[in-house]
Amino acid sequence: MSVTELRPRTPAETRLIQLAEAQGENENARRPAIEALRREGLPTRKVEAWHYTDLRQLMGKRLGSDDAVEALRESGETLLEPLLQGSAVVDLDAPEAAHLPNGVTGSASAGEADWKTTPNRLDRSIDTVRAMNAAFGAASATIDVAAGTHLDHALELRPATGLKSHAFTTVTIGEKAEATIVERLDGGTTGAPSTGVNMLHVGAGANVLWIVDQEKGLDSSHLGQLSVRLEADSVFRLFVLNAGGGFVRYEVHTDVVGEGADVQIRGVNLLHAGQHVDVTTTLNHTVAHTTATETFRNVVTGGHGVFQGIIKVARGAQKTDAKMACNSLLLSDEGDFSAKPELEIFADDVQCGHGATAGEIDADHLFYLMSRGIPGDQARALLIKAFVAEVVEELEVEAIEDALETRIEAWLEANIR
Amino acid sequence: MPAVQETIDSVRKIDVDQYKYGFETLIEMDVAPKGLDEEIIKLISAKKGEPQWMLDWRLKAFERWKTMESPDWARLDYPPIDFQDIHYYAAPKSMSGPASLDEVDPEILRTYEKLGIPLKEQEVLAGVRKMDEPSEFDEDSGTPPAGQNGQTRVAVDAVFDSVSVATTFKKELEKAGVIFMPISEAIREHPELVQKYLGSVVPISDNFFATMNSAVFTDGSFVYVPKGVRCPMELSTYFRINERNTGQFERTLIIADEGSYVSYLEGCTAPQRDENQLHAAVVELVALEGAEIKYSTVQNWYPGDKEGKGGIYNFVTKRGDCRGDNSRISWTQVETGSAITWKYPSCILRGDNARGEFYSIAVSNGRQQIDSGTKMIHLGKNTSSRIISKGISAGHSNNTYRGQVSAHRKAKNARNFTQCDSLLIGEECGAHTVPYIESKNATAQFEHEATTSKISDDQLFYCMQRGIPEEEAVALIVNGFVKDVIQQLPMEFAVEAQKLIGISLEGSVG
Repeated sequence: MSVTELRPRTPAETRLIQLAEAQGENENARRPAIEALRREGLPTRKVEAWHYTDLRQLMGKRLGSDDAVEALRESGETLLEPLLQGSAVVDLDAPEAAHLPNGVTGSASAGEADWKTTPNRLDRSIDTVRAMNAAFGAASATIDVAAGTHLDHALELRPATGLKSHAFTTVTIGEKAEATIVERLDGGTTGAPSTGVNMLHVGAGANVLWIVDQEKGLDSSHLGQLSVRLEADSVFRLFVLNAGGGFVRYEVHTDVVGEGADVQIRGVNLLHAGQHVDVTTTLNHTVAHTTATETFRNVVTGGHGVFQGIIKVARGAQKTDAKMACNSLLLSDEGDFSAKPELEIFADDVQCGHGATAGEIDADHLFYLMSRGIPGDQARALLIKAFVAEVVEELEVEAIEDALETRIEAWLEANIR
Repeated sequence: MPAVQETIDSVRKIDVDQYKYGFETLIEMDVAPKGLDEEIIKLISAKKGEPQWMLDWRLKAFERWKTMESPDWARLDYPPIDFQDIHYYAAPKSMSGPASLDEVDPEILRTYEKLGIPLKEQEVLAGVRKMDEPSEFDEDSGTPPAGQNGQTRVAVDAVFDSVSVATTFKKELEKAGVIFMPISEAIREHPELVQKYLGSVVPISDNFFATMNSAVFTDGSFVYVPKGVRCPMELSTYFRINERNTGQFERTLIIADEGSYVSYLEGCTAPQRDENQLHAAVVELVALEGAEIKYSTVQNWYPGDKEGKGGIYNFVTKRGDCRGDNSRISWTQVETGSAITWKYPSCILRGDNARGEFYSIAVSNGRQQIDSGTKMIHLGKNTSSRIISKGISAGHSNNTYRGQVSAHRKAKNARNFTQCDSLLIGEECGAHTVPYIESKNATAQFEHEATTSKISDDQLFYCMQRGIPEEEAVALIVNGFVKDVIQQLPMEFAVEAQKLIGISLEGSVG
């Protein structure tokens, strides 16, 4: 038997493994993931999937003292109101206890997140987010929406807080079912990371709207992932709102495997000083006749914003129509934004496009408003709001638009003069 | 949308099995033993009669290179290169450096004539190709486009394997104060300039291939344009790999002093062989205050055969430094050759108001793999850059655009416009786009556009208002930039290049 040579660990890596080991429960199930992390360490910028997010360094800054861990044990904030009125709230560490509408079942599965099955195409030999999720012993929850079910109200998924804030959730939407799901990421003002991995299966002809509302505290670190598989003629709509979090990485991977499927991703990232927010997406088109659109709008008054997106069109996936845009409004030299909108195309009869812009508020637009008597500050605020509202309004569900806009406005009020 | 027929036909004309420059010149060569070690570097340095400082510089690079690993981040797939299985020096036996044309081996002169690069000055004066001599690309039109007339005068530096065999028009250029000579000669004759600028844009530790080049480079061109001088003619270097199992490692250094202007172009070809040959060049450009450098490349190395056998591995580091205020560097490249292309001509926009441009047409056929693009690093205030890249892949090839645009915190009002279009012909090829956009400055404005309809609404509107149909207007606007530069190419390939630029944008994807 050969002895595996380990490369030297940084304090952050050692700390992270200590934290994972200190979880206590389900040691045997978690062991392989912990070993994988020990072997591979945390990714640096040299790993292309983490080009703008040096996880090793970021974790180093955030995995501090024992106090942080102690604080974590004690924390246990609870949310009062769901994002959308009437939602059925599902606590991910006890899904069976939730009051679920007809056609929906929730259960806690055997506590073993299978982190090896779908290696992240962007990452190294291990999928970092999933390995961390497994190493920390994520609570596994399974939610099924039966075929043909049309849900009137949303399901709101809430991961546990504190030390147990690691969830592995499998959501299956049956054929021709319709559902709105809110992933609520809140609380967590402490140093240890939280993770959340979601596996969503959208059946043929089904229609899903998934909303990520991330408003975690400034000391928090969160690594999230949403992997979606779309069957024929299904529609998957995603809205990501990042209006908080100290360090956040949210990955979205869609696999379109049925003809006629449609992916619509919209997102708003609001950043101020001290934050690092990274949204990384992979849109994978493997069959012909599928469509996707993706638009992210970023408002940066400080901190580091990252968008990485790739549209992949496999050989034979003819007639794919996929578009991606990332627009950033940089309002201060204190902040920066990095974008990498990639295309990888192996079919010759497709329409694919990507656009990325970065800049400050258009002087012409400002002038237009001011020449009509609107004071400069107000005109600026109006334009920033409009810039963001444009993607929110594409949701075309008034109640949801209102809920999101309220949160966005609160952020803008607090952070923009 | 699929590609239009005209485009398919144009690309077919430069398919890998149509390679015209695959012949070999049989000539006695002086070849260094295979392998790379200190002894070989000392041998190269001695052959070139270099001073000690140059040898020390090479050895320092070699020490560094030994600690480096070959980069693997590009979308390129090739077996590991055995760097010890290459001859690092090969020169025609009859000579060890450039001589007057009368002394050049007639075989070599014939080689360049066959390539359409006559080295006899009177022939250059007469133009590369006469007006009434049609190129195979003109069969439908009959008349070659303007700009290809006999008036163009070009000074040529011809590099054959490891040595420069001839440099034309040296005397006339000297009158204007322009220094144009092989770099091996410049190291001896202008050590102060070489020492000051060599490695100042691409440092010896820059990357694996650049570091290797620093250790073993054999020849290349050196250009110095003094203050306020507008170089009286086009400068050109023509690279030819001939010997089997050799690598070509050229080094080019161009310095445009304050307020000067120079336009330079390079061309390259190689014989058709079953083996892969390595070409690892470094090009450094320095533009001081108010200076302008236009650098054009027509890259036509042997691309390998239909099955991907043979062909040149082209690993090139090209970088321009807009060191002074109001300076300008423009890269134009037409890439049709090489089995593998790894090349990112970049601009460091250091001076205030500096401007960088990158125009590229990359066509891949057969089993070719291209990973090419640019970097625009905005450091100075009011700097601007423009990137126009068009990639066309056919056959079983893969064509990747990889580009970075970044604005430093101090780069107030930096502007960038990027457009990259890709076109696929057939179902077996791939086209990829990997842009990196990094803004650290609120006043910087970056636009990366891929959809042709959105390039510039104002310009488009202007054209359409005057009755030009939308598609033509788009082609006009996009190609307008590129044509300016390409029309100046004096080589025979220029006609083909123009045809390529004219290729319809129809069916392109971001």
